[in-house]
Amino acid sequence: MTAADVPPPVVAAALTESEVRVTSSFRGARIVLYGAVFDREARPSDVVVLVRGPEQPIRIARKINVAGLWVNSRPVVFAGAPGFYMAASTRPLAEIAGFSTLRRLGAGIDHLPINAPAEQRIETRYGVRDMVVSRLGSDYLVWRRAVVRLKAGAGLYDTDETGVRFVDRGLFRSEIALPAGAPTGDYEARIILFQGGRPVAERVRTLRVEKAGFERGLYLFAHDRPWSYGVASVVIALAAGWAASAAFRRN
Amino acid sequence: LDIYLPIAEVSVNGPLLIALGAAVGFVSGLFGIGGGFLMTPVLVLMGVPPTVAVASEANHVAASSTSSVISYGRKRAVDFRMGTVLAAGGAIGSLVGVELFRKLRLLGQADLVVALSYLVFLGVIGGLMLTESAAAVLRRRRGEPPKRRGDRRPPWLYGLPLKMRFPRSRLYISVIPPLALGAFVGVLSAIMGVGGGFILVPAMVYVLRMPAAVVVGTSLFQIIITTGLTSVLQAGRNQTVDIVLSTLLLAGGVLGAQFGARASSRFRAEELRALLGLIVLLVGLRMGLGLFVTPEEPFVMISGGQ
Repeated sequence: MTAADVPPPVVAAALTESEVRVTSSFRGARIVLYGAVFDREARPSDVVVLVRGPEQPIRIARKINVAGLWVNSRPVVFAGAPGFYMAASTRPLAEIAGFSTLRRLGAGIDHLPINAPAEQRIETRYGVRDMVVSRLGSDYLVWRRAVVRLKAGAGLYDTDETGVRFVDRGLFRSEIALPAGAPTGDYEARIILFQGGRPVAERVRTLRVEKAGFERGLYLFAHDRPWSYGVASVVIALAAGWAASAAFRRN
Repeated sequence: LDIYLPIAEVSVNGPLLIALGAAVGFVSGLFGIGGGFLMTPVLVLMGVPPTVAVASEANHVAASSTSSVISYGRKRAVDFRMGTVLAAGGAIGSLVGVELFRKLRLLGQADLVVALSYLVFLGVIGGLMLTESAAAVLRRRRGEPPKRRGDRRPPWLYGLPLKMRFPRSRLYISVIPPLALGAFVGVLSAIMGVGGGFILVPAMVYVLRMPAAVVVGTSLFQIIITTGLTSVLQAGRNQTVDIVLSTLLLAGGVLGAQFGARASSRFRAEELRALLGLIVLLVGLRMGLGLFVTPEEPFVMISGGQ
């Protein structure tokens, strides 16, 4: 049998849940991802799982000292940042593939295309046309690191270098930990199989996080009919105040 | 027993919130204030986004004030006419305040203005109340007669046009000072998430010279209208009122307010004022502290980015 006859390696994966319902008792969720690598040759394989939540622009400000007071600087808007991001892999990403491959796939927090479009302008410098220049200058990396640090602090960004484990021959398992503050919307989990430093197979699974039941009703009410919602909230407040006072009078 | 708040999008401990609402409600009934200045900072510390805390707290204040006003109303201790004039000013103030808060949030300066407002207003008023009432307590301990309150009213109160009679307050004054006072408190209500009782009560006593008996009830009456309007505006303009959060708070709050109103008769007025002054001063200093301490994390995420 020649190499050409060997079928290319394939990766398969599934999530234990494809829908997360956010109800009043929601305190975050753990979703198990399991999958298998089918490869006749049984070449050494690495699996990388990238989970991306819906994109959310981030506004971030730096504390600066003005006349002894710590105040916020002008906020900078970062785009391209997912509301949730997790990169789990069998080994540290840098050992699995090279820089340019990871950058192209957007694999790992360092390779996410997070930037501040409003701070950028395109100009010609040193005779090179269409250069992207950021007004943040060399501070750009400090700002970007702060975005990642704040998101990681809220449990929304995570890199787990041993998050994917082979539990049996070709069979692997990983876990997605969604915190209570995870944004609602459509999530995408990309499962990428690496061999010899190159991505050879990929699978995409989707996950939907949505408010359900009573919570969903209230959320929609607040956003679709905000004025009626406001009036309803005041009516509840006045009624509760009156009820308490009436109840105590009888006693 | 964690409960997920659909608008704030965080989960919080339900029984703890009800207990906090009750504690603040008790303080509210005891001193005849809304209690928002205590609750809003606590909510922010618990991880509720400040914009949601401010808006939902206005709703909670409306509930506990209603609970108290009904009791005061029965004792004929509410000047409804004065309250309505104050509230008319308050309506203009909260319209301006909600828009101002929106602009400040977009500029990223909402945190600064909130912290500074707390430091300045609570610091000054808490300090004044504490020194004035401590002096009164000391005089009584020494057996000296209480200082006579100067009955001379500031002449500008009478020089202004648009005079109106306020029979229950035994006043015949221009409507401009109460309107302006109401407007000022309305702006604070939107920015600080407070009812503004801590400013209204001293202003009614020392500036408008209203009789002490109707001051607290009238202040609470105007607070209901201002905070009610602020709730509707915050919900309509910013979608930041969390009904689940405010319902948890007011469930405890309305009960606490009733107990507080009963307990208030067991203390002397100046002792209550001294205690309130101390609480107000401490909260103001605590909120302002963040402005002077070097932050551990030099960057902050600013909500409401849409």
